[in-house]
Amino acid sequence: MTTATKKGNTLHYKGSNFLKQRLVLSVLSGKPVKITEIRTLDDEPGLKEYEVSLVRLLDKITNGTTVELNNSGTELYFQPGLLLGGTFEHECSCQRGIGYYLESLFMLGFFCKQPIKATLKGVTCNNIDPSVDCFKSSFMETLKRFVYDDEGLDLKISKRGMLPLGGGEVTFKCPIKTKLRPVQIVDSGMVKRIRGTAYALRVSPAMANRMVEKAKGVLLNFLPDVYISTDQCKGKQAGRSPGFGVHLYAETTQGVMYSSEQVSNNVSQGEDPSIPEDIGVAAAQRLLYHIFLGGVVDSSCQALLILNMALGPKDVSKAVTGPLTDYTIGLLRHLREFFGVTFKIEHFEQESQGAGMGKILLTCVGIGYSNISKRTI
Amino acid sequence: MGEEDAFEKKKSHRDRHSGRKADKKKTKKANLNPVEELTAKQRNPKAFAFNSAIRAERKFRRKQDIDTKKQHIPLVDRSPIEPPPILIAVVGPPKVGKTTVINNLIKLFTKSPLSDIKGPVTIVTGKKRRITIVECNNDINSMIDLAKVCDLALLLCDASFGFEMEVFEFLNICQVHGMPRIMGVLTHLDMIKNSKTLKTTKKTLKHRFWTEVYPGAKLFYLSGIIHGEYLRNEIKNLGRFISVMKFRPLLWRQNHSYILGDRYEDLTNQELIRQNPKCDRKISLYGYIRGVPLKKENSVHIAGFGDLKIQDISYLPDPCPLPDAIKKRALVEKEKLVYAPFSGVGGIVYDKDAVYVEMPNSQSQMKKNEDSETSNIFTNLIETKETADFKRENWKLQIFTGDNKITDFDNEDFSQLEQNKIDSTKNYKEEAVEDSGRIRRKVIFDNNDEAEISDSDNEDSVVEQDNTEVKSAPKPKKDEDIQSKIKEVLTNLENKSAPIEQDLDSSDSEEMEEDEDSDSEVEDNDNEEDMAVEWKQNLVKKAKDAFLERISTSQNLMKLVYGVFDAQYQKAQQETQNEASSDEEDIGGIFKKVSKDQQKKKLEKDNMNLTESPLMFPWNTVTKDWTEEENKVLIANCFVTGKWKDSEDASELLKLDDTQNLSDVDGDFEDLETGIKHEAGQKRKREDDEKDDKADKEALAEKKRKLKEKFDSEYDNTDKSSYYDELKMTAEKQAQLNKTVFDNMPDDVRVQVEGFRPGMYVRIEFEDVPSEFITNFDPTYPLVIGSLNMGEENIGYVNVKIKKHRWYSKILKTSDPLIISLGWRRFQTIPLYSKLEDDLKSRYLKYTPEHLACNAHFWGPITPQSTGFLALQSVDSNPEILKKQGFRIAATGSVQELDKTTQIMKKLKLIGYPLKIYKKTAFIKGMFNSALEVAKFEGARIKTVSGVRGQIKKAASKPEGCFRATFEDKILLSDIVFCRTWYKVDVPEYYNPVTTLLLPPDQKNQWKGVRTTGEIKRDKNLRNPTNVDSLYTPIAREEKPFKPLVVPAKLQKALPYRDKPNHGVKSTDKKKSIDRVAVIREPHEQKVANMIKMIKASYQHKQAKLKEETKQRMEKHRQEVSAQEASKDRKIKQKKKAVFRSKSKAQISQEKKGNK
Repeated sequence: MTTATKKGNTLHYKGSNFLKQRLVLSVLSGKPVKITEIRTLDDEPGLKEYEVSLVRLLDKITNGTTVELNNSGTELYFQPGLLLGGTFEHECSCQRGIGYYLESLFMLGFFCKQPIKATLKGVTCNNIDPSVDCFKSSFMETLKRFVYDDEGLDLKISKRGMLPLGGGEVTFKCPIKTKLRPVQIVDSGMVKRIRGTAYALRVSPAMANRMVEKAKGVLLNFLPDVYISTDQCKGKQAGRSPGFGVHLYAETTQGVMYSSEQVSNNVSQGEDPSIPEDIGVAAAQRLLYHIFLGGVVDSSCQALLILNMALGPKDVSKAVTGPLTDYTIGLLRHLREFFGVTFKIEHFEQESQGAGMGKILLTCVGIGYSNISKRTI
Repeated sequence: MGEEDAFEKKKSHRDRHSGRKADKKKTKKANLNPVEELTAKQRNPKAFAFNSAIRAERKFRRKQDIDTKKQHIPLVDRSPIEPPPILIAVVGPPKVGKTTVINNLIKLFTKSPLSDIKGPVTIVTGKKRRITIVECNNDINSMIDLAKVCDLALLLCDASFGFEMEVFEFLNICQVHGMPRIMGVLTHLDMIKNSKTLKTTKKTLKHRFWTEVYPGAKLFYLSGIIHGEYLRNEIKNLGRFISVMKFRPLLWRQNHSYILGDRYEDLTNQELIRQNPKCDRKISLYGYIRGVPLKKENSVHIAGFGDLKIQDISYLPDPCPLPDAIKKRALVEKEKLVYAPFSGVGGIVYDKDAVYVEMPNSQSQMKKNEDSETSNIFTNLIETKETADFKRENWKLQIFTGDNKITDFDNEDFSQLEQNKIDSTKNYKEEAVEDSGRIRRKVIFDNNDEAEISDSDNEDSVVEQDNTEVKSAPKPKKDEDIQSKIKEVLTNLENKSAPIEQDLDSSDSEEMEEDEDSDSEVEDNDNEEDMAVEWKQNLVKKAKDAFLERISTSQNLMKLVYGVFDAQYQKAQQETQNEASSDEEDIGGIFKKVSKDQQKKKLEKDNMNLTESPLMFPWNTVTKDWTEEENKVLIANCFVTGKWKDSEDASELLKLDDTQNLSDVDGDFEDLETGIKHEAGQKRKREDDEKDDKADKEALAEKKRKLKEKFDSEYDNTDKSSYYDELKMTAEKQAQLNKTVFDNMPDDVRVQVEGFRPGMYVRIEFEDVPSEFITNFDPTYPLVIGSLNMGEENIGYVNVKIKKHRWYSKILKTSDPLIISLGWRRFQTIPLYSKLEDDLKSRYLKYTPEHLACNAHFWGPITPQSTGFLALQSVDSNPEILKKQGFRIAATGSVQELDKTTQIMKKLKLIGYPLKIYKKTAFIKGMFNSALEVAKFEGARIKTVSGVRGQIKKAASKPEGCFRATFEDKILLSDIVFCRTWYKVDVPEYYNPVTTLLLPPDQKNQWKGVRTTGEIKRDKNLRNPTNVDSLYTPIAREEKPFKPLVVPAKLQKALPYRDKPNHGVKSTDKKKSIDRVAVIREPHEQKVANMIKMIKASYQHKQAKLKEETKQRMEKHRQEVSAQEASKDRKIKQKKKAVFRSKSKAQISQEKKGNK
């Protein structure tokens, strides 16, 4: 990962990796970023469609943002404005899932001037992004830990859409907060129940049941309390492309939610058609893997966790996570560059054996970030 | 008499001890004995019976109201364990005795007075308390800055004069920026000679002070001066109050760290200054951190100067530390330290041509350990006897033992070498640096030690050395640089050595460990890279292995995440990267440039454009089969079906309880379920075990008792564990955690994670500081360095609620420049006033309302909402202007909202005239200029002056801008038609920080910014061209001649007589002529009249005489009566006296008899 060079207040980066993190942190910190050498050596140089769409989304929820892009799209200068929020709609690029965009809204939502009511349209689940179901379970649960009152925080999946054409739609509502709360979450608890949703879009509804059956078969080895519902979408609710998938989440005694997701292959792109049984088993196995990784949040939510810890009041926050993902490590480094927050990272001694992978204890002092957009009376 | 009554003790009732009544009481007591102890409610429950639900509800509600009113949102206490010195600002108008108070306080605490006090003075006053005293000069800028940082303000007031404006201004400033503790001190009390006036003055001043601060605020009286000092007792009392004072946390300071600079150094290369005296300087400022921890990445604002980026920050040993042991009762003389660099105590004072160093005696302290490189280097510099050039030639540097020494000639590119070394260490070859570092440090300290020894030899002597010597010597250009570089590197090493030593414990050798680390990192990077290339392939296995490896091999996870864990080091690394010098060849045969650099760059390139996803792997990667037994074991305990932790496992807990119970019984028993027999006898055999058991048991019993107590207390008072109590408890817990969590970390890592915590003495370096800051430095102006939180260094539109101060004489005009003190900053800006209408529109106002709050928008620094601010129209302390101004604070208020745009609307009326009128349709001209404009306003509501409403329909073709409109009624051609619209007004983007610190000392209080148009016109003697139309001219109205009223003769005839027009003489005329009749008397009549007049006069005279006589007689009589009365009284008194005398005599004799 490239380190930033600072020129005045502006941070200079190279390459398109971690673009979302950089832009989100830029908006939060108010520091402009300049990103150069974006895929200069690729066949298609410059920003991709989905990244441009992200920049558009950030422009929508801010006031006074300046974006400068050079002709080839290999250089981006982003000067953030103040977070505005409000009601808006955004057509997400189908190259990435809605999750890609939704994560940035999850990161910024609390600090807007007006409560967010965003309608995002696009692909609800794919292979490289956490699906909207993941956001509804794991991410939402993570976010709720940082506020005293989560009234008005809601994610509604009104339509599902698969690759390649998408057509899914979710509505994200987020209240505004002046400050986050510091958290000390060390105990992840034990998995007490497993729930899930299987969906079949524009294919036979039997597919969903077949997935459920197999997934349950695996999970019942560990826990009797498994319940997977099927979501039969009809007509417009099923999006524009056929496909199926399953989302599973495991809830612990401490309210932690680990989630996993599997979707069918995209046949129109020439991939082999998937078998629902395989999908079901794979989803269950993946969920077990996430349980193995452990932590007080799902491995995909680590970034959200540490960001909110860093943005908290000037108090100590503590959290135990599983092994850090590359994305998290990237964010840790970026947090240091944007906010000057350094986390104390150490191994966390566990009491018992057989409780998954070695854990990591993250400790930090928040920067005392407060919502500067909100209006007081 | 009344008071005496109150204090007089009444004779109490004497209980009967025998007799009928006593017997009766005895029996009663015996019967009621158990009841006696009951409360009234228990004894007589009916009287307290519940009889009204509504009253009960009200009672309950009232109780709740009272309880809730007492509660405040619990704040997390962020004060550090070792707090910074308490900052005491001594404020007051000139000539009230501020300096005398400071002098006396210092003398009180340290026993040795300071001669010339400039700037802050830090002293140790107690075992746990230090104070910094700073005097506030008579400048509103200083008052504002100090009010923002001081913990306690001593507000001095000349009692013989009374309160001055400055006092109230300061109080108002304090109120706006978070109220510090305020203690009033009345001086010059000996000037009031009359004791009664003194008493009343004290009283009135006290009550005025109370209304301003809070009722009961402490006000000290310093009653007089003897030999230029206040009375010792009074000062002692004041000191005692100061040293036990407690402070409340203030919101702004709970979120911002700040420093009151007490020392500064100019680090610029002397050569550069010689070439260009106006060149930008590199400076370092020193001070204690206050508030919350300060991070290196924070921007700071120096009040009176501007925003700056911290170039470098490092902590220094405390120059004025608290005593180590707390065993003793009081401070030893040696521990009563003073630190006041600006006044020349405990530091270095720079004069024009010499350097004065106060030597370490009982007063100041210069630590002699190796931590204080800076001071060492300075002493080193001061101590130089030879010229720098000469020394430089003799310098020798040995890096490895047994290595040849590097002399000056190698040293030519010393700085270059420095950087190269850093380059080489960039690849985690710290050991080289460290080794060399240790040796190099020795080189430096060789000199230093000698210097210090010689210092200590000639104690108390002031070393005075011509700086010019150093200057005039043909000094190498880089000399200064090298010095600073060495210092930097040394501090680097100093910081680094600690964690590395720690690491040593875990691994065999540092080198090994470091290598391993770097290796693993590279591997890790490799993995990442691989993953990048084949991101969507099945790499779980490999990645997992990598993970496991990473975890097993890595000693320090932080190092993995953040790279080499040293900020300064990283900075150096960046510098070298920027410079990108291509010196890859060997230097001095020791340092090799490693080609890992290239490798790393390549890696970086590969990683640069990866796809970002929060997922560990894409969903469709295949994981291992968790249903297999060996894998199953790994996660079995993650489920509730697995094994629980001992502390949570129900069966474990039950068992624990059981053993407890059993041990209570301590006998034989048989577990029926398992059939195991437990025998007490068996236990007794193992005697040594038993002892342990006993101890365990006791511990357990203790634990149980505590638990029970806890449960009882929780169970008994259920209302205690309310929401509020919970909040309070979490806040307390958080405070505890904040204090303890980083306790065992080494300081240099801790400052990375936590920041430089309050109480640390730090040195902050800044670059690109204008030379005026140094050349015009005046220590009597406070040097407030406030940190800026995230986003606060940005600029935008600030929407504030503002109210003109009721003591300010004028109202404020919109878009007149104002000087605003907001957050740490003081700046001039141009506000626009507005009023928030009911439809949430901000309506433009020309002036602030006289007694109402309104909104103001200005372009300024983004500051968190609900931060208070105050506005001044000028900060010029020109006495003439001051005299005119009176109270200087024009307005106060707080921030409401921040934004990048504003929406202030000004009301705009478009006026048109009817061109042609049909029935209800009319063509209107003159409102618009073109059809396009009309099209924009189609459908808009219009109105005539007479109130007829209508609507714009469509543009008409003929006269450009004319349109057709319809109205609810037919309008007149003389009507004026208008259309009400709103026009957006832009707020000027003007923001100008008040830079008082950069002004020359004699002009510091005369900062001038933008002038108002009025001022400019006044200065240039311009006058507004008057609009003749607006002038008031006397209205000349012609008298309208009306036609005379003519009543027709026919009608006249018909009228009754009364109403008939009167043509004859008016009755009033008649009367007048009758009144004024002249009386001319006959001679006889004249005689009579005279006679009567004389009689009358003599009669009156007689009467007056009579009256006078009566009065005298009465007076005489009264006197007689009173004399009689008096004699009577006297007689009665004498009689009484006699009677009482005899009575008392009789009594005494009786008593005597009785005694006998």
